[in-house]
Amino acid sequence: MLKIGLSGVRGVVGPSMPPTMVMDFASAFGAFIDRKPVVVGRDTRIHSPMLRAACVSALLSSGCDVLDLGVCPTPLLQKAVRRRKAGGGVSITAGHNDVSWNALAFIGPDGSPLNPFQGEEVLDYYHLGRFERAAVDHLGRLIPVPTAETADFYFKELGAFIEAAAVRAARFRVVIDACAGAGAPFLARFADTLGFDLIPLNDEPNGFFPHDPEPRPRNAAQCASVVRAAGAEAGFLLNSDAGRVSLVSETAEALSEEYTFPLVADSVLARCSGPVVTNNSTSRMIEDVARARRCPLIRTRVGPAPIFLALAQEDGILAGEGSGGVAVPAFQPAFDAFLTMGLVLETMAKTGQRLSALVDRLPRYHIVKEKVYCPASRIHGVISEIARMFRGRDVDTGDGIRVEDKQGWVQVRASGTEPMLRVVAEDRSRERAREKVDEILRSLERMIP
Amino acid sequence: MKSATTLKISISGARGIIGDSLTPQLAAALAQAFGTYVGGGPVLVGRDARSSGIMLAEAVVSGLLAVGCRPVDVGILPIPSFLYLTKEVRAAGGIAVTASHNPREWNGLKFISRRGLYLTPQQTEEYLDIYHQGAFDFVAAGKFRTIEVLPRAADAHLRRLLNRFDGEAIRRRRIRVVLDCNNGAGAVLGPRFLRELGCDVVPLACDPTGEFVHPSEPTPENIAGVCRAVKTARADIGFVQDADADRLAIIDERGRPLGEEMTLVWAASRVLEKTKGSIVCNMSSTRALDDLAARHGVKIFRTRIGEVNVVEKVLAARPRAVIGGEGNGGVIDPEIHPCRDSFAAMGHVLDALAAGHKPVSALAGALPRYVLLKDRIEGSAERAHRLIRVLRKLYEDKGTVNLLDGLKVDFPDHWIHLRPSNTEPVIRVLAEAKTEIRARRALAALRGEIAAAWRKI
Repeated sequence: MLKIGLSGVRGVVGPSMPPTMVMDFASAFGAFIDRKPVVVGRDTRIHSPMLRAACVSALLSSGCDVLDLGVCPTPLLQKAVRRRKAGGGVSITAGHNDVSWNALAFIGPDGSPLNPFQGEEVLDYYHLGRFERAAVDHLGRLIPVPTAETADFYFKELGAFIEAAAVRAARFRVVIDACAGAGAPFLARFADTLGFDLIPLNDEPNGFFPHDPEPRPRNAAQCASVVRAAGAEAGFLLNSDAGRVSLVSETAEALSEEYTFPLVADSVLARCSGPVVTNNSTSRMIEDVARARRCPLIRTRVGPAPIFLALAQEDGILAGEGSGGVAVPAFQPAFDAFLTMGLVLETMAKTGQRLSALVDRLPRYHIVKEKVYCPASRIHGVISEIARMFRGRDVDTGDGIRVEDKQGWVQVRASGTEPMLRVVAEDRSRERAREKVDEILRSLERMIP
Repeated sequence: MKSATTLKISISGARGIIGDSLTPQLAAALAQAFGTYVGGGPVLVGRDARSSGIMLAEAVVSGLLAVGCRPVDVGILPIPSFLYLTKEVRAAGGIAVTASHNPREWNGLKFISRRGLYLTPQQTEEYLDIYHQGAFDFVAAGKFRTIEVLPRAADAHLRRLLNRFDGEAIRRRRIRVVLDCNNGAGAVLGPRFLRELGCDVVPLACDPTGEFVHPSEPTPENIAGVCRAVKTARADIGFVQDADADRLAIIDERGRPLGEEMTLVWAASRVLEKTKGSIVCNMSSTRALDDLAARHGVKIFRTRIGEVNVVEKVLAARPRAVIGGEGNGGVIDPEIHPCRDSFAAMGHVLDALAAGHKPVSALAGALPRYVLLKDRIEGSAERAHRLIRVLRKLYEDKGTVNLLDGLKVDFPDHWIHLRPSNTEPVIRVLAEAKTEIRARRALAALRGEIAAAWRKI
């Protein structure tokens, strides 16, 4: 299984993702970068060293120096790209996908995921299939970068961006579940930076995920029970590259990942105002939060490329998605779980409110998400048929179909990462949201035998 | 290359030009084929000192991981140390990233069996079948193995060497040695080995950076600078290793190169003084080895050109072979490991020096010695074969004709040899005799016959 997208290539490791294919992509990226240095990091998956080796080899052969960060969360890698004035970066991680997946995520020179134009250019090189090869005197050099160096720079900046003193004074007790991912080796450093009492969970960076690395309530049982047992003020659940995070309140309630973004948004927008960017599958909560702070909201197609393009074009001050990814470009244009956790703790410290109380202040919507297998060849036809169900209504066809009503919305779109259709509905009432999704699922059953 | 292409995939592995034919993709696919062939398990990955080595080693590692092997990264390692280690640690095999003496824009992969030997032609065919069919055993995501890093990987070979050579006798002489590694892989072990033997080492170009100071083949014309250094340093002896440290050239105390032919002669002479057994060498090696065999009453076996062939005979020879090698400075001491090993060569030479109480020039002077002249003619392998068909008839009643590899004709006081090169589109022509004048005359005569035969075909 393989998905080739604008921000990288993603697939199930095995015959469909051999080293030579990884090399072709890395060579295409190397051509795009044009002999400038590239920062490379990886998550802890057991096949990540294979992708790393293939990627490094191809980049060296394209004439790019490789700054090798080893195991590194994507947000730390993105900081490193800017700090070292590199031409770009490659993060080897499938983020929230299960253990059999892996991916190359391409980072541009500004430290953000490639925008669609840059992504198209890389794909053009890939499809052309003729790669520039440096002669022996122009090969790239492999330069290992000590983990401490990457961490030092990142956490110094983070400590300055977040009001660390306020968090420190609150003496929080915090549970973080790193899911044995790339965030694991950095938890202690993070706790030091903000001065809280850390209870680490699954912090061996060995790639044996104790649960799916997707931050959402379904995977948060262990984290929630430790929060309860330890009497912690907050629990955080990371994906495998520490880009996304979902929350567990002090009452040990595993919160939907949809809450992360609006909760952080409220505190960011309280400080400054400007455009907010999200995708069109994200909860309406953010609309209410942005409206209350008088900030315009821009919705894009799903995927990092369109979000970060809009963020740059509209001079946005905040971006996020319902999957638990939040980016504050004043810090860096990147989904960043460490920053997000820091902002949540900062909000708790400064308002003196518990996490459950902060969540209660948010407008309540109910979101129902389902996915249905659909062969790639049928996706287009199926979506057109679904669109006919909504004849006469205002159907947004920017990415699949999305139909709004007063109470909420419903959306059907092709997954960016799997041969699946995602059906998502949101409503003030849980029952109505469920009904909207079920109605579509029933139709899909007829269409896809 | 027999043809003029810049890529060669053959029994001696794969060789190509960086930035052109030898790409990471190709290296990964070959590693996948090899990993599939050995069926998983630990596979050593090492390299010579060339700057392009890292790029290819990473590609090899990715290919091995993808088919479920466990790559063991041994870093920069002399090829004899690599071969020895592969057997010693019971690896499933090894891939060495090296292009031995080729110019710096070249690099290549060599494939090594679990016995620590280069793949035989049969084995190569089997694994190349996998490569050509693309029948790789990719493993599922859950079946991946980890990469192991083996630091100080040369230590195993060093221990074996020190075990083989009597440290005390050599140490007492406190021999002053100029060692030139030409910044090749030998630098990882050479200075250490000699110091452990109690030598006073004057290191030249002993940084394994792969930046060659002189052309990599240790022929007299390439090592003139080292010869001068031996004189200025008032050293007892000079050693020059080639880029992957399987071949050795020797310089005497007056700064004169002995000629690569003499390395094997000297090592063989020393070994035979201590242990009786067969000598194995290729057809182009000096006749001095036959004289040695006669002097010691032992058998000598001659094989086709190519290290694999010599090694195969070393393993098979009866009575057991005690020494083997090639005239190009490659010495095989089967007691250590059946591969060309410049360290073993140094050990035997120093051993002889310590026992002999004479300068190098005197000891070398006592060895049987011939003058071997080498020449080359532009021409493909195909043309060479047509030439040989014509010339063999001509020589049949003049001398003893041998067609094992090209055409070799033995005469009472000299021999000539003509064969297509395995690595370039040229025909190699050799003549050896007791004196230079006689050898020149033999070579000129052979060239005359070739020119005449050329016109006929």
